[in-house]
Amino acid sequence: MPVLELTGVEKHFGGLPAVDGVDLRIEDEEIVALVGPNGAGKSTLLKAINGLQPPTRGSVRLAGVELVGLKTHVVRQRGVAMVLQHPQVFESMTVRENAIVGGLFGVGGERPSAATAAQRADDALTFTGLIDRAEVDVGALTLHEKRTVEFARALAGQPKLLLLDEVMAGLNDTELAASIEMIRAARNELGITIIWVEHVMNAVMSLAERVVVLHFGRTIADGVPADVMAEDDVIAAYLGTGGDR
Amino acid sequence: MIRAYAPIAIATAVLACVPALFAGSPSMMTVVTAGLVFAAYAIAFNLIFGSTGQLFLCTGALAGIGGFGSAILSDRLGVPMVLSIGIAGAAASVVGGALSWVAVSRSLGTIFTGIVTLTFSLAFQNFVLGRGDLTGGENGLRISAGSDGVLDHQVAPYYVFLALVAVYLVLFRRIQRSRMGWAFRALRDDEVAAKLAGVAVARYRIYAGAIGSAMLGVAGAVFAHHRSFIGTTTYGFANVDIRVLVMVAFGGIGSLLGPILGATAFTALDEVLVDYAQLREVLYGVVSVVLFLGFRRGAAPTIVDSWNRRSSRWSVAKRADSAPEADSR
Ligand SMILES: Nc1ncnc2c1ncn2[C@@H]1O[C@H](COP(=O)(O)OP(=O)(O)OP(=O)(O)O)[C@@H](O)[C@H]1O
Ligand SMILES: [Mg+2]
Repeated sequence: MPVLELTGVEKHFGGLPAVDGVDLRIEDEEIVALVGPNGAGKSTLLKAINGLQPPTRGSVRLAGVELVGLKTHVVRQRGVAMVLQHPQVFESMTVRENAIVGGLFGVGGERPSAATAAQRADDALTFTGLIDRAEVDVGALTLHEKRTVEFARALAGQPKLLLLDEVMAGLNDTELAASIEMIRAARNELGITIIWVEHVMNAVMSLAERVVVLHFGRTIADGVPADVMAEDDVIAAYLGTGGDR
Repeated sequence: MIRAYAPIAIATAVLACVPALFAGSPSMMTVVTAGLVFAAYAIAFNLIFGSTGQLFLCTGALAGIGGFGSAILSDRLGVPMVLSIGIAGAAASVVGGALSWVAVSRSLGTIFTGIVTLTFSLAFQNFVLGRGDLTGGENGLRISAGSDGVLDHQVAPYYVFLALVAVYLVLFRRIQRSRMGWAFRALRDDEVAAKLAGVAVARYRIYAGAIGSAMLGVAGAVFAHHRSFIGTTTYGFANVDIRVLVMVAFGGIGSLLGPILGATAFTALDEVLVDYAQLREVLYGVVSVVLFLGFRRGAAPTIVDSWNRRSSRWSVAKRADSAPEADSR
């Protein structure tokens, strides 16, 4: 059984389809890159999966269980975490406190003690390399660091599936390499399945095992990165809409 | 642990000395006792608005459900006073929880929550006036339960309300430090981020609404039995809501002792302006506008902050880079 199975997922905004009938099967521990030109519907698709923008039509199954109709926090507790394109952290909290919230509320069907939550937070901070900055207020962090905090908060809730939305935009080469390693380690060491939206093509080529291309809300290609990125209609989709990377 | 509750102990100890100043003056004791009642209202409002951002413009009405409810239960139906206070508090809790439920299930923002609860306040006021058979209408309601106990003396009621305030502060602090407190902080910081982290945002808002409303109902009920007489203005919007709003906005929205600070400051101000009732109303209006425009987190915390910043600039200039952050939020 696939970890995640989308069938006929549509999301309309005022009649206009942003996601227009997507079918997708994601296998356990895959790293899937979701690419496509600006406005293709990538972010909307991720938000349809976790209920932040519930689909207009279609079904989203996690290990066979329907997610459509569940609230975002419930989807989170079932094991689907997301890091947004524009990171949203708890600004009044420290780095550690941000991760603690993930450890306290992220796992369904339990009420962890404060100590357990703190332990999960520290594990996640160690994993993401933020442990040295645990006591820093997140307000003082850079955009990239805030994304990493969001990543750590997601990990502290022990997800099975991680949805990442353009977490590598604007990184320098060192940061990019570190970010790629961190995502790969999340899969290799923690067994987390990754669906990840990305514009940075060399990151896609080096990290993804499978690429799904979205264009006008539909999948136009799906396969191994080198093959997919060489397909004519993929190239046309990027050039045709002024894709810049 | 001790550090978390020390401010409550200190504030309670300081307030416990107040009767020593005014014990000779019954009218002053009435004033300071009423100040404590407002402090209790303000703590409850702060739990709802300060912790979860729900603008409940029905503080007075919820306290009134407690007050009229307990008065009717005890005097008409012969329910023992302590029990009637409990039942009335529970009723206020159900109503407040329901208002909260409406607000979250319709995803009303701060402003629309304010409008809905304000409408509820007006409806409650009409009920009090319209059902004079129950509430005494314009003539008010005389209450006999409690008129022969500790609540009727000069100094004792002050300590009853001080105990209530202390209990409310401890409750507020306990919630702050619990799992619920984490949820409140998270959803107040960023609602979407809270949902993404797994926080049941709607449910925690309703908890805040229900708990805060129970606190309002109980405080309103105890006040009714203390005064032995309640009327249409006792829990009126101008009399309760505006004042509570100004007190909390002044003392520090969401902070533990902000409501105490605000209640103390405005009780004192009321007394200074006691001969200028109309001026006072205008002043409250102006002050609330200024507070909400200029001091989003409350006047006292902002002033303390900027003072700290100034004094640290004198000593070391290196905090300057982090300072503007705290101000802009
Ligand atoms: N909340 C919304 N209301 C109305 N339209 C929206 C909303 N969110 C997205 N859209 C529209 O849906 C389409 C898809 O947007 P989406 O953000 O999913 O694209 P994307 O592939 O993530 O693009 P980008 O690469 O720029 O992030 C766009 O045309 C966008 O304008
Ligand atoms: Mg996007």
